[in-house]
Amino acid sequence: MSSTLTTPPMGGDSSVDNSKRTWLIASSCAGAVGAGFVAVPFVSSFSPSERAKAAGAAVEVDISTLKPGEKVTVEWRGKPVWIVRRTPEQLAALKGLAPQLADPDSKRNPDTYTPTYARNEARSIKPEVFVAVGICTHLGCSPSDKFTAGPQPSLPDDWQGGFFCPCHGSTFDMAGRVYKNKPAPDNLEVPPHMYLSDNRLIIGEDKKA
Amino acid sequence: MATFKEVSPNAPAGTKLLNWIDNRFPLTPIWEGAWGKYYAPKNFNFWYIFGILATVVLVIQIVTGIFLTMHYKPDAASAFASVEYIMRDVPWGSIIRYMHSTGASMFFVVVYLHMYRGLIYGSYRKPRELTWMFGCAIFLALMAEAFMGYLLPWGQMSYWGAQVIVNLFSAIPVIGPDLSLLIRGDYVVGDATLNRFFAFHVIAVPLVLLGLIAAHLIALHETGSNNPDGIEVKKNLGPDGHPVDSIPSHPYYTVHDIFGVSLFLIVFAAIVFFAPEMGGYFLEYNNFIPADPLKTPLHISPAWYFAPTYSMLRSVTSEMMYVLIACVLAAGAFAGFKSKLPKPFKLAAMGVALAVAAAMMAIDAKFWGVVVMGGAIVILFFLPWLDNCEVKSIRYRPDWHKYMYAIFVLVFIMLGYLGMQAPSPLFERLSQFGTLFYFGFFLLMPWWSTIGKCKPVPDRVTFKAH
Amino acid sequence: MKKTLLNLFVSSCVALGLSSGALAASVGIAWDKAPINLSDNASLQNGAKLFVNYCLNCHSAAYMRYNRMTDIGLTPTQIKENLLFAADKVGDTMQASINPKQAKDLFGAAPPDLSVIARSRAGAGGSGADYLYTYLRSYYRDDTTTTGWNNLAFPSVAMPHVLWELQGERKPVFEEKQDHGHAVKTFTGKWEQVTKGSMTPAAFDQSVGDLVNFLQWMGEPGQAKRTSLGWYVLAFLAMLSFFTWRLSKAYWKDVK
Repeated sequence: MSSTLTTPPMGGDSSVDNSKRTWLIASSCAGAVGAGFVAVPFVSSFSPSERAKAAGAAVEVDISTLKPGEKVTVEWRGKPVWIVRRTPEQLAALKGLAPQLADPDSKRNPDTYTPTYARNEARSIKPEVFVAVGICTHLGCSPSDKFTAGPQPSLPDDWQGGFFCPCHGSTFDMAGRVYKNKPAPDNLEVPPHMYLSDNRLIIGEDKKA
Repeated sequence: MATFKEVSPNAPAGTKLLNWIDNRFPLTPIWEGAWGKYYAPKNFNFWYIFGILATVVLVIQIVTGIFLTMHYKPDAASAFASVEYIMRDVPWGSIIRYMHSTGASMFFVVVYLHMYRGLIYGSYRKPRELTWMFGCAIFLALMAEAFMGYLLPWGQMSYWGAQVIVNLFSAIPVIGPDLSLLIRGDYVVGDATLNRFFAFHVIAVPLVLLGLIAAHLIALHETGSNNPDGIEVKKNLGPDGHPVDSIPSHPYYTVHDIFGVSLFLIVFAAIVFFAPEMGGYFLEYNNFIPADPLKTPLHISPAWYFAPTYSMLRSVTSEMMYVLIACVLAAGAFAGFKSKLPKPFKLAAMGVALAVAAAMMAIDAKFWGVVVMGGAIVILFFLPWLDNCEVKSIRYRPDWHKYMYAIFVLVFIMLGYLGMQAPSPLFERLSQFGTLFYFGFFLLMPWWSTIGKCKPVPDRVTFKAH
Repeated sequence: MKKTLLNLFVSSCVALGLSSGALAASVGIAWDKAPINLSDNASLQNGAKLFVNYCLNCHSAAYMRYNRMTDIGLTPTQIKENLLFAADKVGDTMQASINPKQAKDLFGAAPPDLSVIARSRAGAGGSGADYLYTYLRSYYRDDTTTTGWNNLAFPSVAMPHVLWELQGERKPVFEEKQDHGHAVKTFTGKWEQVTKGSMTPAAFDQSVGDLVNFLQWMGEPGQAKRTSLGWYVLAFLAMLSFFTWRLSKAYWKDVK
């Protein structure tokens, strides 16, 4: 009775073993590469679709009718973006606030919260026009406007104007900078934006892009 | 309970890890039982790749299906749009969609060829009847899965195909219309139907399929595999306790099947990347029109894999009923006068035949068409008991059996072709002939399988070293 | 001999048309072959221009985004400046100008969405593009219809001849043929130019070809990428099959 399997004895007929090894390695490598290629479409299908990208496209805003002291809100990528035309008094008040602020020079996480053109005292391209994402950097609520200076409930007596988040009490100044000892760790995010003309802003795109 | 095994502290990390697991979970026994040391006959040929391919296609369908479900919307108002969203806006969505639609058709190609292998080599014969029957159940579940999946794109074919098939149930006497209403969830196929078909297609039927496939493989492993010679290899055991004509699946069938799968993937990729519509057979042209409940397309046909059974359904006209009634009465007469059954069974058989013939005259052909269509699949379950031939495999059967099987295949293909065409008098006659041949092939098999001289079956399998 | 051949040709065209029309609409004529070339960006861009100017008024292409046209060689700025009449942003989908309900009231049938029109109209007579190419060039005046137009490829169609200014008016030439004992009016395949359009017939055919090319592209904007990727996939799988074949052989040498 002939045996079905003729496995070569230990150490002998190494050419058969060699060819097995060669093709095992070749097939395994090709298989691994193939598996990688196959994974690409599936994993990529998780990324934002054209519809999501279109919905997240840049938004144009006309601020010709925006009066000093007024704020307009637009939606960009599902988030509220504030555009405030600051008064000269509000701008002047920004200078003295540094000791009360957690991050007066916007040095914390600058790449996330403060684009290069906003790395100045007013945190904006044009001093009068302040653009920020209206979401508290603590846990995501949208702070309320508190532009009037002076004592008010939940605010200090020397309040110079800014924003107050009702959820956990964080306060921000008129340049979106967060006060010390508040739950929010960072200043309000300044989104990518640029001026198409004196009165037309585009939120979501900037010269870098 | 297995004893707790210790390994030497000098053993490699992998061995130690495996030992730790094996002491707590039967990983190695499962691997060895399921595949590693599952001894299979060495003479498997080309026809034996289709079982593995079916598993591969199942995995493809599940994975692509999961990713499609992330973007598809099962709502009549947004389903069609969501499919186009996948095709255009989702990164790589079109490739994932084509893989799923190609996979659906390839599943049937593979399963039909897998069943054909079972047919020609007698894989359904004792002791593998249960494996075969679980397989038939898988086939039924697969047809249900495909039918329900086809509604989801909510195109014209989806809608009207579903409408027609669900209305088939209304042909059942007494309970029919209520049953159809229950299935649809509404008076016509609509949003309610779509949502429930989605639930069935995505989770209910796949779970049933997985269970049936597990049962199918467990039954197979209990008896061991058949082979192209139809020889029971377990009759010839070697000194190691394994059949002399068998080899361990690992590594031999591991490497053999990986090669087979690579070739299959070439065919699969060629279709996905170059011809996903397949001339309108894999992705029907009419399905690029959103479903319109007020307008039926001029030419509806079912998906190609349903075409053979569909043409059998259509062939049952009032004229055909006469032929069928005659067959039923002839069967009753045969059972009563010519068979060797005990007397009470003979009388019962004749009585049943008369009752059925009466019912056939009372109830419309529409209902009997459904019965014939269902019967065409149900009859497969009985195959192990219809085949009385001495030998299992076509290789050792009388030569004329080969012609019989060849004609069966041609008739099946012809029925498939006819099912896709618009009706005509000639096509109607041909499909009637085809239906009669199909049923005759099975129902008369107890008789014709014994005619002719079988060739002697060898003791050892025929195998050429390669 | 020539006449018999012509008759044979014509009747087979009619028969072909009869069977091909089945999937398209109802009985129509044989379909001409559309000059499809999906790598011809100039043709596709011209087709896009015609589509936006002539079709988008009534038909939407709701699954097609304007910015996808960067695939056929246009920049977002070019798209914005030349093609964006009915939408604000380049990422928007191509919606029709007309109100769908108005359209249905006006024409009797809602103008279908054209995103996948080229994929849906294929049939025995040819590809969907062939049908569209034939259809857009087979209009003729017919006083008995609501719009005053009829179409040989889609008899009694509700859509008027939008491109009539470009093609001018034409009249199909019929002849009487004997079929099973009675006279049947059959189309000879020839047309008579009744009034001139702004384009010569050849230029018009080219423009319609461009438009249909665009419709074919729009049906599946990724098709060119799909086929080119396919070659790489098949090459890789061929290599993999070769490796696994040798691997299988290396082990099966042991099996006697």
